[in-house]
Amino acid sequence: MTAMAQPNGRRPKRLSAGRIGLYAFLVISALFFLTPLYVMLVTSLKPMSEIRTGNILALPAAPSLAAWNSAWSSACTGLQCNGIRVGFLNSIRILVPSVMASIMVGAVTGYALSFWRPRGAQLLFATLMVMAFIPYQVFIYPLVRMFSQAGIANSLLGIVVVHTIFGLPTMTLLFRNHFVALPIELFKAARVDGAGFWRIFIQIMLPMAVPIIVVAIILQVTGIWNDFILGLVFAGRENLPMTVQLNNIVNTTQGERTYNVDMAATLLTALVPLAVYFLSGRWFVRGIAAGAVKG
Amino acid sequence: MIRSLLASTAVLALLSAAPANAQTPARAEVIHWWTSAGESAAIRVYADAFNKAGGQWVDTAIAGGANARAAAVNRTVGGDPPTAMQFNTGKQFDDLVENDLLANVDGLAKAQNWNTVLPAAILDAVTRNGHVYAVPVDIHGQNWLFTSSAALAKAGATQPKNFTELFVTLDKLKAAGLVPLAFSSQKNWERGLFNAVLSGMGGSEMFTKFWAKRDVALVKSPEFRHVVDTYRRLHAYIDAGAPSRNWNDATAMVIQGKAGMQVMGDWAKGEFTSANQVAGRDYGCTVLADHEITYQLGGDIFAFPKPKNATVAAAQTLLEQVVTDPATQVAFSAKKGSIPPRQDADVASLDICARQAHDWLRDKNSQVAANELLSPPAVTGAMEDLISQFWNDQSVTPEVFITKVAGVFGQTF
Amino acid sequence: MAKRRLIGSRVSAQVALAPALLIALVIYCGSTLWTLWISLTTSRMLPNSVFVGLRQYEVLASNDRWLASIVNLAVFGVLFMVAALTVGFLLAALIDFRVRAESLFRSVFLYPFSMSFIVTGLAWRWMLDPTLGFEKLLHDVGFADAHFNWLVRPDRVIYTLVIAAVWHASGLVMAIMLAGLRGVDREIWNAARVDGLPVWRILVFIVIPMLRGSFATAFVLLATSVVRLYDLSVAMTNGGPGIASEVPAKFVMDYLFERGNLALATAAATTMLITVIAVVAPWYHWQGRKTHVGAAH
Repeated sequence: MTAMAQPNGRRPKRLSAGRIGLYAFLVISALFFLTPLYVMLVTSLKPMSEIRTGNILALPAAPSLAAWNSAWSSACTGLQCNGIRVGFLNSIRILVPSVMASIMVGAVTGYALSFWRPRGAQLLFATLMVMAFIPYQVFIYPLVRMFSQAGIANSLLGIVVVHTIFGLPTMTLLFRNHFVALPIELFKAARVDGAGFWRIFIQIMLPMAVPIIVVAIILQVTGIWNDFILGLVFAGRENLPMTVQLNNIVNTTQGERTYNVDMAATLLTALVPLAVYFLSGRWFVRGIAAGAVKG
Repeated sequence: MIRSLLASTAVLALLSAAPANAQTPARAEVIHWWTSAGESAAIRVYADAFNKAGGQWVDTAIAGGANARAAAVNRTVGGDPPTAMQFNTGKQFDDLVENDLLANVDGLAKAQNWNTVLPAAILDAVTRNGHVYAVPVDIHGQNWLFTSSAALAKAGATQPKNFTELFVTLDKLKAAGLVPLAFSSQKNWERGLFNAVLSGMGGSEMFTKFWAKRDVALVKSPEFRHVVDTYRRLHAYIDAGAPSRNWNDATAMVIQGKAGMQVMGDWAKGEFTSANQVAGRDYGCTVLADHEITYQLGGDIFAFPKPKNATVAAAQTLLEQVVTDPATQVAFSAKKGSIPPRQDADVASLDICARQAHDWLRDKNSQVAANELLSPPAVTGAMEDLISQFWNDQSVTPEVFITKVAGVFGQTF
Repeated sequence: MAKRRLIGSRVSAQVALAPALLIALVIYCGSTLWTLWISLTTSRMLPNSVFVGLRQYEVLASNDRWLASIVNLAVFGVLFMVAALTVGFLLAALIDFRVRAESLFRSVFLYPFSMSFIVTGLAWRWMLDPTLGFEKLLHDVGFADAHFNWLVRPDRVIYTLVIAAVWHASGLVMAIMLAGLRGVDREIWNAARVDGLPVWRILVFIVIPMLRGSFATAFVLLATSVVRLYDLSVAMTNGGPGIASEVPAKFVMDYLFERGNLALATAAATTMLITVIAVVAPWYHWQGRKTHVGAAH
């Protein structure tokens, strides 16, 4: 584990006042960051009567998983009372190909833009940069028309293509910035050895891009899993993602609001990105250690 | 032409074949945004009736009107339309009509004699260029005042009938330490309250002048100024939690007796009902009026995208028949808190508020078409922004507000 | 031989860029042109082609809500970016001081980013609601005069969006900064310490300049989320009270779907697009020249 990235700060010699202050700051920050999660969690474990009268930070008097149960398997949206589990599998089916496709296209584009610079590369990158800022809602309308012309409206393929399209600017930027920062000698040496475009990419660049791939996965898993409007418009009735069910439960405008079920449904929907984050935190550091270039 | 031919053959086919032994049930996918408990119970009435009649109801519920309409319109434009889609009465489907994407239901309207059985405002709301393009499935009154009997008793107040009495009651509620007016500061409810004051003080004449004619002279008149002042005065009677509250959370305050009253559409009755409260006993319902009762009529409709083949056309025809059956409409309204569009329906089983509304509907003078029926969404939206700004920001004076309203009226939409 | 391979690689590079090029040309440029065209018409819920020149832009320029949206976004953007970059960097720098349970802290700071804006907005709306959340809590424990009602005050509500957004994004900034910090050569720290420089001066004058790249990445990511700000406003305040927390993307969305006014929505979208180009193009030009010097082959 010597390759593990080491923090750069000074080695602590003793527990000085400065270090106590440092820990105090970190702990207070951590509390600030954890409060919303804590509130959602305890709320999801309380019955409605307790939510109305009690305070939001209080622990539940008698914790109950009833709301979780309801959110997962029996909460109603319209006439279907199957909870949000229906959308879970759909979300996975959308997520996996979309993450892979968008990262692949982004990595290749970033690589081509940073080392090869074919004609028009500058303009392409500039276009992508601008598009990174445009709310994608603007594109929904023309895209619907294009997709129905192309015959991929309301399909799994359609939603994967949409996620690839909207992921492209950020993904390209990530990979391009990473590759640009790599020493050009690496690339030149590979060219002297006679390696071509794809060989350099696969054998040299990709292994060096592991930390960025991890970051890309984090960004895309989160973005795509949490997407609501694109899934609603492009995925079609059979593939509606989990967030659409969540919206149906949480954003229902009429009827009594069951905050505990809302919170449980919210947490259930957030589980996958949360898990990715907690697992990839480790990989994040390892990836950087593996990818770090000395000299 | 072809469509009506298809429809008539479909009707013939339906009449000749007993629904129960139909080989392939007519499959109808319906996009709607009725997702709450009460709404789901209501839509189930239509779904069950449709299935019983030999169809197969495919339910696509998407919470939030804008989301559901976006999905429905995008699919229709994209060539993959649902069998039917929900809209509110009003101008939401005008463009679909203009682009020739909707099937008309002229045959049904004629056969069922909609000219006499539907309120004129509702029939107008679904008619474009002499053709009927949608089926009304419920009627909602938008300017009800709901009062908590418990809260009124506690404050020693009575249910107000007009705006003078309203402020007396509000003051008593305030003195009793209650929240006088339960409110949800969402833009559409702010507009709803404004509309209740507008029609309550100015009657249907002022209401139509404002929303349909966009009459600049009206908004410069002292009568309108009085409406604006009254609206501003109400702001003192809401509580600090209003901006982040949903309308039904506000209704809950009335149900629990924490607040004295709420101005809301009759869909709020669903909340009272699910809390086991009875109209006329636990809560009161009325429409405030300085002169004549002016009941604001809105509601929901089903629109039918042009069918791609005879099977879809048959499903649409069956669905049209089912949702216009008077008894089914009454059963639906009982769950939804609405009243049936058909005036020949027997409403004896509905609550006292619904029966009252049903009576008002018989009298042309005590009703007016709702805001959404009179003005296109762009105007409604622009006005909504102004009203919301005025309501929330005390530094916007009535004079400024009136000038801005006149400015919007001057624009072309 | 080598020449042919070179040509082959050049072709490969073109092929590799084909999907991106296709997306940029067909989707982005195509949609943009369409948007531009529609903004010059009278389209309502569905597009039409009745040309009216710049009339929609005139309507837009006199629209209170649009103007308020722009101001709101500017206030939000500046506060949010400064706060998120500061908090993110601070957390990363502190974590980098060999703290115990580093991975726990890291995860705690990073997890909010996994939450959607809808969830973020709902959670914060609930906690900041004066009748449900912290204010009620303070009242319950005896501070009857305590007020934390920013969520319902038109003049303060935009700050509550900043709080929620900083909560959401600081972890990402921290992760990017941490990655950057780990790339800083330890020799630099050692050398600086031998010189007897205080820690904060090492951070500010030596480390931060070395993290330019990390700051740039974080800055761009945050900036894109600022311009796209929509879900958070919808979930937390729905633009209110009044129009106090309306933002441009919400204006576009509302007019596109709720209000069935494609022409005005696309005029607003076009205005956003032009503004973004006006800001990004010079920055990009400057950036492009720098990388030419740094990584030319």
